[in-house]
Amino acid sequence: MVFTSHIFIFYFLPLTLLVYYLLPVPRNFFLLVMSYIFYGWWNPWFASLMLFASYVNYVCGHVIATSPVGSARRKRALVASVVISLTTLGFFKYFMFFENNLNAMLGVLGAGALPVIQITLPIGISFFIFQSLSYPIDVYRGDSPPVRNFFDFACFVALFPQLIAGPIVRYNTIAEQLVQRDHTMEKFASGAALFMLGFAKKILLANQMGGPADAVFAAESPAMLDAWFGVVAYAFQIYFDFSAYSDMAIGLGRMFGFEFPRNFNAPYLSDSITDFWRRWHISLSTFLRDYLYIPLGGNRHGERRTYINLTIVMLLGGLWHGANWTFVIWGAFHGLLLAFERWRGKESVYSRLPRPLRVGITFVLVLFSWVLFRAVDIHAATAYFKAMFGLASASGGSVLLDSILYTRGNLIVMALCAALAICGTQAHDWVARLTMPRVVLLLGLFVLALMTMFVQAFNPFLYFQF
Amino acid sequence: MAVSRRVQLSLVSIFLLVIFGEGIAQALIELGRGERPQALDLFTRTPNAANLRAYETEMEKTAWSAKALRPVMQYARYAGYGDLGEKALIGRDGWLFYRPGVTFLLEPWPQTAATPMPQEDPLEAIVAFRDALAERGIALLVVPAPGKPSVYPERLSGRVARTRTDVHGPTRTFMERLGEAGVSYVDLFTLYREARIADPDAQLYLARDTHWSPAGLRMAASAVADRIRAEGWVAEGAVVYEEKVVTIQRQGDVLRMVDTPRIAAEFELERVDCQQIIETATGEPYHDDPASPVLVLGDSFLRIYERDEPGSAGFIAHLAREMKQSMASIVSDGGASTLVRQELQRKPELLRGKKLVIWEFVERDLRFGMEGWKLVSLPNTETVAAS
Repeated sequence: MVFTSHIFIFYFLPLTLLVYYLLPVPRNFFLLVMSYIFYGWWNPWFASLMLFASYVNYVCGHVIATSPVGSARRKRALVASVVISLTTLGFFKYFMFFENNLNAMLGVLGAGALPVIQITLPIGISFFIFQSLSYPIDVYRGDSPPVRNFFDFACFVALFPQLIAGPIVRYNTIAEQLVQRDHTMEKFASGAALFMLGFAKKILLANQMGGPADAVFAAESPAMLDAWFGVVAYAFQIYFDFSAYSDMAIGLGRMFGFEFPRNFNAPYLSDSITDFWRRWHISLSTFLRDYLYIPLGGNRHGERRTYINLTIVMLLGGLWHGANWTFVIWGAFHGLLLAFERWRGKESVYSRLPRPLRVGITFVLVLFSWVLFRAVDIHAATAYFKAMFGLASASGGSVLLDSILYTRGNLIVMALCAALAICGTQAHDWVARLTMPRVVLLLGLFVLALMTMFVQAFNPFLYFQF
Repeated sequence: MAVSRRVQLSLVSIFLLVIFGEGIAQALIELGRGERPQALDLFTRTPNAANLRAYETEMEKTAWSAKALRPVMQYARYAGYGDLGEKALIGRDGWLFYRPGVTFLLEPWPQTAATPMPQEDPLEAIVAFRDALAERGIALLVVPAPGKPSVYPERLSGRVARTRTDVHGPTRTFMERLGEAGVSYVDLFTLYREARIADPDAQLYLARDTHWSPAGLRMAASAVADRIRAEGWVAEGAVVYEEKVVTIQRQGDVLRMVDTPRIAAEFELERVDCQQIIETATGEPYHDDPASPVLVLGDSFLRIYERDEPGSAGFIAHLAREMKQSMASIVSDGGASTLVRQELQRKPELLRGKKLVIWEFVERDLRFGMEGWKLVSLPNTETVAAS
């Protein structure tokens, strides 16, 4: 189910809220049931995979919690949970990628291709596998107490507000809330406000920017101006799409008494790539830092090892996004830039320029990375870069792009996106100080977005594919 | 604090009113009509992915709020953004375009080796059809109809107006493949380009419709007839036809697809002078003859003016006038890629006595054809003979 759908807004959400607040106990179990309905709505079979991942990690966490510290049994349980979780993720997400690359290599060697087994990628698998895996690790490290029962743990993994695309909530963040959380009018109101704001961002901004971005990235040979317009549109689309999802997720969480970590903090105001990763998809970067970078040794083994660790983390972070070489290169691009800035004392090479220029240059670097992120393959990304640098001219039907790109609607919304990205006001801060004029504006935006939803085609969140 | 509480209460109550209101109102409307609330349909079907998608789509389509607000919002987006929605694009000078026709020209097709063709290869289906017909002694002539953006790209894009770029590369490449495979075809692209060079103002397509104008179709019918005569596939008949000018007014199918009367009202009806074909001997408008040696298959390019108003003024009637004999035809809107051949399979009698099949399809159907380009076998000879 998608947050920006008729069925969710007008049926699933009201019904869930109504029953949740009528129920004295056990609310977590009810949320668990509704979360499985929410997830299974896409394909009921996918729910069994989530149940499997939850059960394995619950059992492993239980074994860890009941074994003496430092015992082999405790370590074995941790290794089992990591291996089973990553194997599951690897099979569903990367097996076809592996098969295709194997066939490509066999082709180079002159051997025949092996048949490729088609595997459907369950949506949100990267998110729920990471979340469920965080539990045995947190318990092993002593960062969290063991969960009181399986239903609470399954509820944490499946919790529908943030199930599909995050923020990635670690077990230790939410452990206490699963047992005890507050439900106040203030919390509910700020949750509803965040939800409405996220909904409006997705429908009114992100979806509108998706049109030109899709058109340019699908075009055979866009002109230079079109290529730049397309990647800027994509930059706004992915930001307003993903941050909208996070806002809605955090908002929904608050309506049910939870407090999830924030995921964005004006990323396009970053003045270096290091700064960018403090502001973009914060829950992923902190997850990778705590569960990958630090276990790899972090910065504790000398400068050279630190740079290698940074690059490895970003490479794997890239691969986490999708089974495609473009994501690997995207991760490497960021990893190398991060390592380079680390070498310079966490400063960019342009750190002495005035701040607007630093922000501008960082934005352009991020745009280059978005080309890798959005292109269907390396060949398409290369062609796109050529177009951006004027090394390929528009030909054939691609000259018609101007009729799709530079419409009044796209120009207005792009200007609006740019203004919002530059002003840097974040949804969290904005809803923290609700006033009557803000409420009126919010409700107006929400109703306008609902009406717009009726004329838009099905448009799921970009991060669903991850 | 009191103000803050009031603000919170206002926000929460209106939010809840909006999200609860829609479903309750919908149920009350349905109960008021004596129907069971549609939301309960969920419990009447097996919960699999397909059924859940269908349920969701139906709920959305029949929602009172969507029905009431969609036209309002569509108009607001048109007025504010100049946006006609998912199916249409606004061109220049009041011209409107069907978006998939533009998408076909924009995106690479056929796919590259890296991203193979996602559907059946049209060439394979055409060659198989040609070979199956040849076994029965019937010739095939393929007529890819240019989409409007191919013929009038400058009415869509100011950039083309300046550069005069040839925009229909995908179809040109496909026609070359047809030629290499020995499939006979008529190149209407070159024909129209030359016509526009000779007369830049020639109106070969309608401004607010996806289809050709009477002038455009007459030119196409004449070119096809010339080709038939040149190849000697079918001799000219002896029926004498004459033309009668009938003027009609069309809103255009692009506006019909937008489906918002208030937007349609902003565009004038297009006045079209059609040449209706009349059989001189009877004074009756042209009509098909299933026993004709020529069978014409195609899409809405064959339907317009022929089966729409004024009738008997479309491509088929004009081809008949050129060839001095009636035609047999199968016409399926958007279904020229596969559906027309499937219908032919169900009507074997239409193949009896045929010497030539003319197969028209609009170029965008190479990629977007309904049901793709399936291989469809011809009805067997015994069935044809028996029928």
